[in-house]
Amino acid sequence: MALTSPPPGPGAAPDRVVFWFGCNVARHGEIVRLATRLLEAVGVAADPAGGPAYCCGSPKEANARIAGAMARRTVEAFNAAGRDTVVTWCPSCHMNMDDFMAPATEAAFAAAHISEVLHARRDRLAPLLRHPVAVRRALPHLHHGFNGRVPVNTLVPDLLRLIPGLEVVDHPCRAPGHMCSALAGVPGALAAAQRALLAAAEETGADALVTLFHSCHRETVALERGRPGLRVVNWIHLLAEAMGLPFQDDYKTWRNAPDPRQAVGPARLAAAGETAFERLVEPELRRPPPV
Amino acid sequence: MSARLPPPRAADLPALIRAESARLAAACTACGACVGACPMVPALPAVAAAAPEAVAAGLRAVLRGEAQAAPEEAVAWIGACTRSGLCTAACPERLDAAFLMRLAGMRLRGALGAQEEGGPPRLPAREDPGWSARVKAFARMTLTEEEQARWL
Repeated sequence: MALTSPPPGPGAAPDRVVFWFGCNVARHGEIVRLATRLLEAVGVAADPAGGPAYCCGSPKEANARIAGAMARRTVEAFNAAGRDTVVTWCPSCHMNMDDFMAPATEAAFAAAHISEVLHARRDRLAPLLRHPVAVRRALPHLHHGFNGRVPVNTLVPDLLRLIPGLEVVDHPCRAPGHMCSALAGVPGALAAAQRALLAAAEETGADALVTLFHSCHRETVALERGRPGLRVVNWIHLLAEAMGLPFQDDYKTWRNAPDPRQAVGPARLAAAGETAFERLVEPELRRPPPV
Repeated sequence: MSARLPPPRAADLPALIRAESARLAAACTACGACVGACPMVPALPAVAAAAPEAVAAGLRAVLRGEAQAAPEEAVAWIGACTRSGLCTAACPERLDAAFLMRLAGMRLRGALGAQEEGGPPRLPAREDPGWSARVKAFARMTLTEEEQARWL
């Protein structure tokens, strides 16, 4: 069954897939959870898989031997899972699978991006989007990149337009790169992209910036600071909200808290480990926003 | 899409990088259209001031295994690639120029080793030494123990 073709009728057995969420989206556990629920709602039973154990190899791209071995391990794990399709979340992972992973290791599966799967099954999704969302006019945060592989700049706004009462505005603003983490390495590039995004929000009268990817979300949530009329939300959050699925965007709460350590709280701090939190997590949460 | 991914065309990643570099370098005419379409060039004054054809020729040189001879402007341009993909749309030869840039970036960061490239990496590796530990720390904060056990 082609996951990006029209779905089988109601009552048909769900398609079983691996949902490869990548690594850095682990900052947003609720996105993984909600994305899985959305897939289930359209008849796709998804087994999430991610983190460093399912690495695409790109963090080690300066050593092809190591990167290739990491990528091979991941492809072989997906082969062993026995699913026909791997549904991707991360645009880097998706492109790496096409460009470097499958071309060097036999892959016994198809790959499709989650936006393609949900869009192909939007007739099933639409009736489930019954709850009002706390957004009136949404501006999708779009990039030039990845759209040439998977037309996310069309698919995601189309899906958001299924939400009753939500206006999804068009604006020509497109950030360079395929997601915001790519911009962070070029001095001034991320700040320029965020200023352009804010200008687009003002021009369109949007009361929400809707991020497509996790790295954009983590770089953009701080734009809520000092802007009480503006909400930053991921497209998965918004679809989930319209389905009435409860969730909490903890990363945004932590990132925008005056004291992130206090906002995280003792239980989660203990889960991370004091040393790991202090060295790896806290500096990111306290980093000043680019604009 | 629904078909399985295409079969492998190389034995491993280093072999793929070598083969694809050679294939694309042979097809590239270094016309500079990719440089002209790149949204990062305005952020790189030295690249913006250089002739696009010369910058593209430097990109092609990297793929030919001549990384040490590539001009600084080409190295800076490749290093600033954010994968916008506009270069691919602009290529009159219909090459996947974004992939070409990715290959060149990997080679300039030393993916094939100093011996094969004839010298040390010309771009610093983008490796975050805390990446894996950071991902796992966040996962412990945002996923239940059961989710961690099943998903990671």
